[in-house]
Amino acid sequence: MALTLPPDSRTPLSWPVQPGNGLRASHGIARTLRILLAMALALWFALPLVPLALWAFADRWSFPAVLPQAWGWDGVRTALAQGAVPAFGHSLLLGLLVSAVATPLGVLAARALAYHRVPYAPVVNVLLFAPLALPAFVAALGLNVLLLRLQVPPFAGVVLLLSVYALPYTSYTMRVAYGAHDLAIEEEARLLGASPWQVTWRVQLPLLAPALARAAFLAFLVGWSDYVITVLVGGGTIVTVPVLVASAAAGTGNDATVALLSAAALLPPLVLLLGLGLFGRRPTGGRP
Amino acid sequence: MAPPASVGGRSWLPGTLMAAPAVLIAAFVVVGGMATALAQSLGLFPLVGPPSLTVAAYAAQAGDLPVGIGLSLAIAAASTVVACLVGFTAALVIVQGRWCGKLVAALGTLTIPVPHIVGAASVSLLLADSGLLSRLFNTGGSWPELVGGPWWIGVVAEYGWKESAFVALVVTGTLATRAVSYDETATLLGAGRLRRLRHILIPLSLPTLTISATIVFVYSLGSYEVAWLLGRVYPEPLPVMALRLFNAATLTARPEAAAVAIVTTILSFGAVATALTYLNRSPLWR
Repeated sequence: MALTLPPDSRTPLSWPVQPGNGLRASHGIARTLRILLAMALALWFALPLVPLALWAFADRWSFPAVLPQAWGWDGVRTALAQGAVPAFGHSLLLGLLVSAVATPLGVLAARALAYHRVPYAPVVNVLLFAPLALPAFVAALGLNVLLLRLQVPPFAGVVLLLSVYALPYTSYTMRVAYGAHDLAIEEEARLLGASPWQVTWRVQLPLLAPALARAAFLAFLVGWSDYVITVLVGGGTIVTVPVLVASAAAGTGNDATVALLSAAALLPPLVLLLGLGLFGRRPTGGRP
Repeated sequence: MAPPASVGGRSWLPGTLMAAPAVLIAAFVVVGGMATALAQSLGLFPLVGPPSLTVAAYAAQAGDLPVGIGLSLAIAAASTVVACLVGFTAALVIVQGRWCGKLVAALGTLTIPVPHIVGAASVSLLLADSGLLSRLFNTGGSWPELVGGPWWIGVVAEYGWKESAFVALVVTGTLATRAVSYDETATLLGAGRLRRLRHILIPLSLPTLTISATIVFVYSLGSYEVAWLLGRVYPEPLPVMALRLFNAATLTARPEAAAVAIVTTILSFGAVATALTYLNRSPLWR
């Protein structure tokens, strides 16, 4: 497996629309305990990211000091000197290509399993989910030799492996979406004279757009965050942001660079996540 | 959902054609990856020389493999326990709604797109000897060896942190759709907080919790970069051992790396099979 992601389209990847209900509200001591527990959990999730923010713009922060002693752009300069910009481009390209391969293939497989007769459907299901159980380094280590002998370019090999590792997420997200999708609407459009292409572009696509966006985002994350497949199949020739972070973090004394590269690695997914929160929400907010 | 006759008819062809691209590349990577790793480990795919069937690669690592297996299983188990306990608690807080639930959900969601290597780098900046916590508590030289120490605290903390957000969001998905109405009914019938937790929230989220626990276990068992960055040189977890052998200068080390990979795969598939057997026996599964 390359990454663990919550694939369920009902999962609040966006800001949750969960109305509090007065019935189950807590009072008195229970309420205080609940707030303390929530604060502790908030701290648990946020704390590991705090040093990134502090270190990223710290020029001097010698040991016992609690806060940086000098702020500045040294981290930025070192990161740029180490090739942060091309690495950023490679990561972006990898994420987009994995998304471009794994999303349509996941959509097709999900639609086939939902609406058509598929031979050996259980085997197909097992194969689509198998990447969750097979450690990514095993596939990369095994296929490395084969891909070399078949003379597959390293970048294409990395995209192929990562796309397979993204398939469980795209196909599952789309299975859930097709499960809730009402085929009668497509049939009605056909009845009213729409051509198959019109049904696909004007009916199916808009109805499935939130799930499609989510599937594409999850596939992008698989490509964007990968380390081990990029290193093994890429043979060290493909330098992405995670590869830079790893080599900087393995050394000593470049904490500011590590923090800055790490913070930069968080930006594109977070921007996409916020976009998904606005775009990926169902038009009608109500729960059944 | 039963396939409606109007779409595919009775023909196998459309379904086969639509599923084929995904199935073919998945089969190539999953089956092909395992087959080539197995062939390499058995000496059938040598870099130089003629192929010959041998278990020499397994025998060569026979001393280190048990240690690696034990360490990998222990790290995976500890990470899974931390992730499930924190994640389930967070899911309960999120499902209660209100501003504190929303805050926890938002911060947990922000954790999801963090790459593990970035998580490992930040945990190192937080927990290492010269990390933020050591500075805050100002312990002088007596800060415990959390990163690179004998108890692998940093590694477990990173997996526990990242995967607790994963567990929290997956379980929240189940609880929000399936449990809220039961929970409200039980409240109306006079059930207290603990009884609702024991008789409604835990049983209803148990299948989802089992699945996410399996995913977390298998992930932390087979993942490389976190244990490599935050761990120590010896003993090594299986993925770290496999990649060190793979990158070793001697050519004989390649089959040994593949052997370690095959052992990891067996453990991983064994964990999944155990979880599926348990789920099939569970009455609440579907």
